[in-house]
Amino acid sequence: MSVTIAIVGAGPSGCYLAQALGKLRDDLAIDIIDRMPVPYGLVRYGVAPDHQGTKGVIRQFARLFEREGVGFVGNLRIGDPEHGADLTLDELRDLYDVVVLATGLSADRTLGVPGEELEGVFRAGTLTRHWNDHPDEAAHNPALGERVVIVGNGNVAIDILRILAKETHEFEGSDFGDHHATRLEQTAVRTIDIVGRSPAAHAKFDPVMIRELGKLSGVRIVVEDLDDATEGEDKRLAALREIDGHGAADAAKTVTFRFGWAPERAAGTDGRVTEMHFHNASDGAELVLACDSVITAIGFEDDTSMNRSGLVGRASDAEAGVVEPGLYLAGWFKRGPRGTIPENRADAQALAKRIAADLEAAPPSGTRPGATALRSRFDTITDYEGWLRIDAAETADLPDARCRRKLTRVEDMLAAARAKTET
Amino acid sequence: MDITILYGTETGNAEMLSEDIQSHLEGDHSVELSNLSDFDPGSFDKNRFYIVVCSTYGDGELPASAQPFAEAMEAAKPDLAGIHFAIFGMGDMEYEETFNNGSKRMEDLLTAHGAKKVGERITHDASSSDLAEDLAMDWADARVAEAAGLVEA
Ligand SMILES: Cc1cc2nc3c(=O)[nH]c(=O)nc-3n(C[C@H](O)[C@H](O)[C@H](O)COP(=O)(O)OP(=O)(O)OC[C@H]3O[C@@H](n4cnc5c(N)ncnc54)[C@H](O)[C@@H]3O)c2cc1C
Ligand SMILES: Cc1cc2nc3c(=O)[nH]c(=O)nc-3n(C[C@H](O)[C@H](O)[C@H](O)COP(=O)(O)O)c2cc1C
Repeated sequence: MSVTIAIVGAGPSGCYLAQALGKLRDDLAIDIIDRMPVPYGLVRYGVAPDHQGTKGVIRQFARLFEREGVGFVGNLRIGDPEHGADLTLDELRDLYDVVVLATGLSADRTLGVPGEELEGVFRAGTLTRHWNDHPDEAAHNPALGERVVIVGNGNVAIDILRILAKETHEFEGSDFGDHHATRLEQTAVRTIDIVGRSPAAHAKFDPVMIRELGKLSGVRIVVEDLDDATEGEDKRLAALREIDGHGAADAAKTVTFRFGWAPERAAGTDGRVTEMHFHNASDGAELVLACDSVITAIGFEDDTSMNRSGLVGRASDAEAGVVEPGLYLAGWFKRGPRGTIPENRADAQALAKRIAADLEAAPPSGTRPGATALRSRFDTITDYEGWLRIDAAETADLPDARCRRKLTRVEDMLAAARAKTET
Repeated sequence: MDITILYGTETGNAEMLSEDIQSHLEGDHSVELSNLSDFDPGSFDKNRFYIVVCSTYGDGELPASAQPFAEAMEAAKPDLAGIHFAIFGMGDMEYEETFNNGSKRMEDLLTAHGAKKVGERITHDASSSDLAEDLAMDWADARVAEAAGLVEA
């Protein structure tokens, strides 16, 4: 019998790991398990809807299921039953020789300043999942208003800024839902202030994300706090200098970049945010921005549902993602919420070597049944064929200028996954 | 013909395409596949035809796996006179200003050391509906046919 491997999490880390393992050994029976009936994690639910090119890695991952014999086990949540899991980690380990957790880190980090609980303060992960039609956030109803303040300076903050700054026609070719585009049109955002704690030269976004804003047609872009920013990474400053002044002075929307302001508190009336307060770390100056909403985009963290700290704590080699031979951690779940798709690939390749070495050193008896046991126990599980049916439903009868219309409810996904195609 | 496919990749798309090209050509030719990161610039061989598949990253830079190769080329400055290659670029028009600059850099790097390009560099746009493999196979067949008269056997 082959060695059975369960990778929990069908995001880029899990998929790259399956790919790398398959290149090292051809006698592995690998299943990728996800709590969703659909694979690909943040490639589907994080990467911006108007960045379809970046989602192109999905074509590699599809090969795993279509040609390499990797199984997709959808709609199965692993972990603590108190958090809604269908199967505990220990139960899963009884069924597979090797288990790898690649479940990502999806909780939004909070600012830790007063006023964060006010209505009108939104969080980047929640908002981007909503815009990407993740069923968990289908009911999220962000009333952004005309004046939006974005706190944070990473690529995710820029993704949010770009979506808010776009005109409806600029979503052509994307999979940004019509309902979202209409909603944004009705909201008629007028001002978007994006505020970073660090000076411009140390902002975290990639320069190319700023350059992309130069294509926007309906927005004026202003960059403040650039004056004394001379050292640091030149490309970032050059991109900011170039974008400063972009667009017509009378454009319907204005984006203002501000640097060097530490968030202090959100203030409001009747429980709703009306102002965001910042201070300058070096000279103590105050900045108060009147606003209708605040979006914090300051990173992600563990939602504690997978006992991550316990696993990392007892890991024999936490850096490599080895808890003990037979149990491994990968991707954001292992490394923390940093790094882009390529880093997950490099990381997965290193981990695959480690797993292969451990298998070599102590070959498992190879009698753990893997997916067959899962399928006989759970009739709720979906498979890759099911995803293909969902995919077909999402790409049939498309509205104008969209490449996909995602199903937004798990029930609808399950119904589509089960619908036998008429032959 | 003896062919070596070299790929420079960051997220693996160029590697997958290279594997596809290898499977496509393998029936009629002897085809080796190597990541540029594992390829020593000193080992170019006039008796082989090189097909390079290279993406673009960052701000029009070479992808991660091509960077050690570029550094090794700068250090070793090999004489590539008599070496023939064709190049396929992978990029994304979302990055319009630097579209496929990585494959252009790779082409320039090879020609600067004396290698000769066979046919035109072709580019794939990840944002288009074209599949890279739909562009690549006819292109590869045509380049291999052209190279037949050039590469010393
Ligand atoms: C908003 C946003 C935009 C981004 N944009 C880009 C970009 O443009 N380019 C780029 O390179 N990187 C981007 N990134 C970073 C990139 O998405 C991450 O590096 C990458 O997705 C991490 O991969 P992962 O597989 O570790 O986690 P994830 O992609 O989060 O995958 C985890 C998977 O595990 C599943 N899962 C979670 N819990 C369980 C459970 N208990 N049981 C079973 N399954 C479970 C989830 O459903 C999910 O499918 C972005 C990130 C975010 C948040
Ligand atoms: C962060 C990032 C930067 C990129 N920069 C460019 C670029 O400047 N020019 C370009 O043509 N393509 C660019 N691309 C697109 C990639 O080259 C394209 O997705 C390609 O298919 C990747 O191939 P690979 O997986 O082999 O690296 C970029 C992609 C990402 C994610």
